[in-house]
Amino acid sequence: MPRILLADDDVELADMLVEYLSQEGFEVDTAHDGKTTLQKALDGHYELIILDVMMPELNGFDVLRQLRTQSQVPVLMLTARGEDVDNIVGLEIGADDYLAKPCNPRVLVAHMRAILRRSEQATANTPAKADSLTIGDIELQRSARRVLLNHKAVTVTSTEYRVLEVLLEEAGHVVSKQELSARALGRELNLYDRSLDMHVSNMRKKLGPLADGEERIKTIRGVGYQYSYQHSGA
Amino acid sequence: MKSLFWKIFVSFWLALALFAGLTLWMTSYYLENIRREASSDQPRNNIIEYVRQARALAQDSDINKLQDWLRQLDKREAIPYLLLDKKGVDLLKRSVPLYLQRRVSRLEYRYLYSEHEEDDDSEHRNRRPHHRPIIINGKRYRLMPDFRSITLNRILDRPRIIATPILLAALISGIICLLLARYLTAPIGRLRQATQKLAQGDLTQRVSPSMGKRKDEIVELANDFDYMAEQLQALIGSHKQLLRDASHELRSPLARLQVALGLARQRGDDSKTQELDRIEREAERLNELIGQLLTLARLETNTTEIEYNAIDLTALLEQIVEDAAFEAHASNRQVNIIQSVPVTIKGNSVLLSSALENVVRNAIRYTAEETAVEVSMSEDAEKPGWIVIKVRDHGPGIPEQMLESIFEPFVRVGLARDRQSGGYGLGLAIAKRAVHLHGGQMTAVNEDDGLSILIYLPELKSSE
Repeated sequence: MPRILLADDDVELADMLVEYLSQEGFEVDTAHDGKTTLQKALDGHYELIILDVMMPELNGFDVLRQLRTQSQVPVLMLTARGEDVDNIVGLEIGADDYLAKPCNPRVLVAHMRAILRRSEQATANTPAKADSLTIGDIELQRSARRVLLNHKAVTVTSTEYRVLEVLLEEAGHVVSKQELSARALGRELNLYDRSLDMHVSNMRKKLGPLADGEERIKTIRGVGYQYSYQHSGA
Repeated sequence: MKSLFWKIFVSFWLALALFAGLTLWMTSYYLENIRREASSDQPRNNIIEYVRQARALAQDSDINKLQDWLRQLDKREAIPYLLLDKKGVDLLKRSVPLYLQRRVSRLEYRYLYSEHEEDDDSEHRNRRPHHRPIIINGKRYRLMPDFRSITLNRILDRPRIIATPILLAALISGIICLLLARYLTAPIGRLRQATQKLAQGDLTQRVSPSMGKRKDEIVELANDFDYMAEQLQALIGSHKQLLRDASHELRSPLARLQVALGLARQRGDDSKTQELDRIEREAERLNELIGQLLTLARLETNTTEIEYNAIDLTALLEQIVEDAAFEAHASNRQVNIIQSVPVTIKGNSVLLSSALENVVRNAIRYTAEETAVEVSMSEDAEKPGWIVIKVRDHGPGIPEQMLESIFEPFVRVGLARDRQSGGYGLGLAIAKRAVHLHGGQMTAVNEDDGLSILIYLPELKSSE
């Protein structure tokens, strides 16, 4: 049973969610304020943390920021509906996914499963693929889930890693948004959902442009994304 | 003298009195001066000069020339200069006052009984140069200034004499009035600007600080204006805050409701599935409404936190239309981009996409089945540097008098809140607010069959 930490200051809601999620086959631990959440998240070995933004003492963003300095555990943010900016802030500081709250619990479970599937795939060794993938100045070390830029490690979240991995595997080819969402996020692309764009934009910021100043990950308008493959440099 | 009433009263009164007084004083001073000269023995220099000129002219023996000269002199001088012969008759046949006639006969008498040469006399030349005779064609004339006939009318007829002081007075009083007018109207202009901005919704406008050290009715008005703006701001602020807080508070029970619903489903009682579906649908509606309310409240209160970057609007629009087309396809409608130009603007992509999304989805909602929503983006022909996005549907359109109000929250065209049209009447309000934050404008226009929403946005200059 996957162990999960649910952080929400609404005790009643948390209790009901615990009941619902255990029916769905999760082992759920709860925390009701930011400090406890951070402590538990760092101590316990959870496979996923569900983090509400609105919490006393430390809010969800602060918890995530501090957590990311030490751990890359998958985090699903619950943000306030109608505050679109929050969603982006969450993804920028390293959440793997977000959901606007209040949300349908079925949707929550679907998102949780997608994240867990991704991290499972990552931990399970995939012998068919070579451990190291190098394109230009970027090197992926799959077993360690590390990204090296000019032999220097770049900190990425597991979702960002997946996005980059898919793009690098298909370097030089256009990857449609639908395909990228399915392979990297483990779920279908929703209408008006910009989280994929956010992850790509984060990767661009972290990796910067190519040595010749060209955009590393190109947006192919109306289709998807493409990782620039440099024939001469590779 | 703090009050505006007294300021206006006193300064107008002063300026008027000053002008009138100065003119009167100048004229009477001039008259006095002339009288004083007349009574003194000292001849005026210009009389001597005129006698000299007349004598020079007389040498040509042309009486017409002398008459012309005399007329010119009369036009120029406030004092009438008479040229009298020995009988006391003026060369120009003007009437001669009695005292001058007497003086002429006295001079004539003295002249006859003294020994002298006909033409010139050394005694005359030295002692009384202004009494020297002017002899033309053998007739002897004397130039006599008629000091007593000088009148105010003559002076005013010859404005050159007192032109300088009058001009000076006009200039000074003009400057005073100009400054006064400026002083009075400048703060009114500022007040007006602030009122206009307030009317446009900028409740942070205050005018008192720009009033300096003034203390009058205008400053009192400015203070009242500031007080009014403050009250308005507080009132509207508290309303918005209330809306925001209420929406926030509504979320918690709704979140619990949804989980409770999920639990009810898990317990698996198939007989109630239909009712549960219904509850879920309504909860979803409520959820969306709260989301929109919060978006709107956020757009109206926390506008300082928004980050603006350069955005490829063309790509953003394409993305939105693509998503919307997919959604529209399900209800047998289409969304097409019929015209587009490459545009970059300074903005917040989240806000802009939600604005465009709301407009496009609204159009899909109202366009008739089997028709297409047409989206176009072009340079604004009337305003260089602006772009206009047009979203046109083929629906029922809206009554003319509602073209403005559809951008207000909860205003919908159909009186019945028919479910079919969906939405909550917030989409366009959110869109307009977001466009407004980007310095743009939004209007609605009825077409032959349907409605066009026009979004105007300032383009980002390539140099910026």
